[in-house]
Amino acid sequence: MTPNKNKMIKSIKLFLLMLISSGIFAQDSSVTVTKISGFVKGDKDSVLRGANLVIEGSIDGATTDDKGYYEFETERTGPQSLLITMIDYSKKTFPLDIISGINIELNIKLSKEVVTEEIIITASSFTSGNTNAVTLTPLEIVRIPGADADLYRAITTFPGSNQVNEGSRITVRGGDPNEVLTILDQASLYNPFIFDETFNVSSYSTINPWGLRGINFTSGGFSAKYGNVLSAVLDLKSYDMPQGTGMFAWLGLANASLDGVYLSKKRDFGATFSLGKLFLQPYFAVNGEHSEYSPIPQSNQLGGTLSQKIGSTGNLKFIANYSDDKVGIQSSTPSYIGYFNGSSKSFFTNMKLMVAPSSSTLLNTGISFSYYNKKDNFGVLNTNSKSYYSKGRADFTKNISSKIDLNAGAEYEYNGYDINGAIPVYSYNLKPGAPSTLLDTNTNSGRIGAYAEGQFRVGKKFFFIPGIRTDYFTLANKASFDPRFAFGYQFTKYNALRGAAGIYHQIPKLEYFFRAEGNDLKPEQAIHYILGYEFNKDGNYIFRVEGYYKDYANLVILNTTDLFYRSEGEGFAKGIDVFLKTKIKNKFTGWISYAYCNSQRKQYDAVSLTPSNYDITNAVSIVGSYNISSEFVAGASYKLSTGKPYTPVLSSSYNQSEDLYIPVYGENNSSRFPTYDRLDMNLQYIFALFGKFAVAVISVNNVLNQKNVYNYTYNFDYTQQVEIISNNQRSLYLGLGLQL
Amino acid sequence: MKKQVTHVILLLITFSFLNANASSDFDKAMLKAKKNLKTAMNKSDETQLLKVRGEFERILQLKEKVWLVNYYIALSDYGLATAAMVKENTDNLKKYTQSGIDVINKSIDEYPEFADSFVLLQALHFNRWQYEQEKMQEIIAATTSADESAVKLEKNNPRLLMLNGMASYYTPEAFGGGAAVALPKLEKAVDVFKTRKETSELYPDWGYDLAMGYLAMALLKRNDDGDMKKAKEIIDEAIVINPDSGFITAYVMGEYKKSTGSK
Repeated sequence: MTPNKNKMIKSIKLFLLMLISSGIFAQDSSVTVTKISGFVKGDKDSVLRGANLVIEGSIDGATTDDKGYYEFETERTGPQSLLITMIDYSKKTFPLDIISGINIELNIKLSKEVVTEEIIITASSFTSGNTNAVTLTPLEIVRIPGADADLYRAITTFPGSNQVNEGSRITVRGGDPNEVLTILDQASLYNPFIFDETFNVSSYSTINPWGLRGINFTSGGFSAKYGNVLSAVLDLKSYDMPQGTGMFAWLGLANASLDGVYLSKKRDFGATFSLGKLFLQPYFAVNGEHSEYSPIPQSNQLGGTLSQKIGSTGNLKFIANYSDDKVGIQSSTPSYIGYFNGSSKSFFTNMKLMVAPSSSTLLNTGISFSYYNKKDNFGVLNTNSKSYYSKGRADFTKNISSKIDLNAGAEYEYNGYDINGAIPVYSYNLKPGAPSTLLDTNTNSGRIGAYAEGQFRVGKKFFFIPGIRTDYFTLANKASFDPRFAFGYQFTKYNALRGAAGIYHQIPKLEYFFRAEGNDLKPEQAIHYILGYEFNKDGNYIFRVEGYYKDYANLVILNTTDLFYRSEGEGFAKGIDVFLKTKIKNKFTGWISYAYCNSQRKQYDAVSLTPSNYDITNAVSIVGSYNISSEFVAGASYKLSTGKPYTPVLSSSYNQSEDLYIPVYGENNSSRFPTYDRLDMNLQYIFALFGKFAVAVISVNNVLNQKNVYNYTYNFDYTQQVEIISNNQRSLYLGLGLQL
Repeated sequence: MKKQVTHVILLLITFSFLNANASSDFDKAMLKAKKNLKTAMNKSDETQLLKVRGEFERILQLKEKVWLVNYYIALSDYGLATAAMVKENTDNLKKYTQSGIDVINKSIDEYPEFADSFVLLQALHFNRWQYEQEKMQEIIAATTSADESAVKLEKNNPRLLMLNGMASYYTPEAFGGGAAVALPKLEKAVDVFKTRKETSELYPDWGYDLAMGYLAMALLKRNDDGDMKKAKEIIDEAIVINPDSGFITAYVMGEYKKSTGSK
């Protein structure tokens, strides 16, 4: 044997030795296996079929059968880790010490995975999402006749909320419109409207319902996470990331829009854009003009989002939106007839960062800025106001167990207000050259808020949410403390009781601080008490009835002696809301809402408790949408409500120096407008155009052409009351949407 | 020196052999699970589908081609969602569809070059029409986006062609769909399936019988001269391809019998 051959043999031996030691050629037939078996169960010992068990690092394992039983064998010994997974359940690992040949019996319990953003349905809530508690979906929003695809208008078909002047501003349970807070991805949206507070022109919302993944409207008794709001909260959540790539174009008789979404191939980056323009010439050509305009209402909107996925669970999202509007409308008052000219510009931006440091914790942080500029001109009135809002906020959610979630957060909000121009000294004298006060002033305020609340589930049927929040208002140098509590008890599969009580505060609008001695205005206060019952059969039949009582204190009131505003007002609101909804799969969706409300306040100019400005005693809303075929959907919506209160003029006296009549007003809000009544109908046709999805809409608003009263004016000496009829008379709208 | 080099080479050979053995474990487990998945899908049996889903989940422990294993987990979810749809169990349809979407997105995140993943994603999003029509725009965007990605990667993927044919089949004529529109798409899918050879036996190869089944149903629906006869020929051919397919032997054959009045 040569030395080389010898070396070669040695090497082969070494190779074979290594193979043998690695066990590749091991053929030990006497290997002992260990059997591992048991049951996997869920809450309350429910059987879990389809749970998967595996010894980590191997494929030894099994799936549970119909009885939740599993059984498998393994050759592994020593310390091992058993991993148990199941859809919708939190994964679990179990340490095992396997001794060869000694079987193991192991029963395991899994807990439902806690969705950190789960919405527990509290009293007075209307939500959208993937649950049977769904009460309003984006499709329903765009299909509600008369709602004009507007989220706010759609919400007013629910009990307790009413439109302001047939527009998108809403009032809830007799409260003021500014007592309703809209939140989008943690940021406060103060002016998501065009034509807001414009004479006899209905406002419209700038929020696109299709961009929302969650809508939660609460008309009272809301959570401690919401601060500086007295009546209601509309909490909106947009999609963190677009779901695909595409564009949608819309062309209507009065407007056009183009929306686009983009999702990167790696699905870690997304962007959206939205362009919209309002042009009413064709609409007026078809429907006629019910007022004289110069210029006719016009508006532009531009918006977009950028989203970036961070890691496996984080997301950074940037939103920016711009809108403007302009209108001149002929208006008549006893002292002046002319064009009311209004215009506004609004900009909103928000940056939101969401991270999940662990599977049971979620941290949302956001910073937002908004700007709203409004110009009004009518006779001597000529104002240019600017509002600035910025907010930083952090919300933290921790899932302690399947029964307990903790939420806590803090926020800082800055609010600045500038106004310049001239306002009439006497509201009854608007003539150009009439006595006026020249304004060039500004003020600002900060608010620091913090809250903590727990969500406790007792079994599957009962939950309660205690919470506390505190806010400090820098301008008024006042702090508020708001304990809140909500509960829900599902006493049978379809029947539930819900209730809530709590204290709510909201700082008065900054305008009032201009006439507040030493900025001494307290946050206005409301205490809510709510109790309700709900029957809900799989979301197909929903019946709710809810009673509420609200006790107000510290409302802003004008002291008629020194003409300063003080926090000495008070009031109450009580009522019952009833809601009935039925859904027949793919065929019919409809609901009926009824609300009774008695809201009285001693506020603003009132010297005693009188009906509040939006005390609508009875309101009924009926909505129905019927799928005639897979292509045609028809809908109708009917509203009937008590007219809102107003303060009438009883007589007048002639003032020689001003050469006009001075009105003598009756008691605050002692008269009412006539009953409001309106029927809207629409028809949608879904079809393919150029091989793409398309939808055509024809709608008729105010089908019965009811002459609803927008307001009253008077002749020059106030001897004749003249109705100002709403411009929302019978009108036809046509529109066509196409997926590009 | 020479001796050391020889030992290094031998060590490398040893490790590559060990690795090959591990791959073989993976391949073996995958092929077995894939076969079980086919059986479970043929029967649309929820219990079997859950079992095979578990098999794939366990294969994840081998940490090889995780994206491909996730593809099959998502495909199992799709099978489970389809079974739920047949039983009109909307809760399960939602649950498995959402799980499938989550899992296939994970697979795409890891390996975005696999056309079949986008086809499956598109199919899963189509399921959402059954329970969240209100998200119409979102579903359209999601399916369109998945379709475009699949087309970019492999425009002649037979499962992609088949899905497009199926979508046309179920889309009402008024919306640009119908049997006549579906037929050429399904015919093309079947043609591609005939000559298709996957580059790895681990890759998905399902759908041939399904495409033939839908082709037969589209013919039954169109019902032009000779369509019935042609549909029967296609059904017979499909039974040869997959004799255990419940879809072909029960559903499509049932439709044929209904159309022809035969027993």
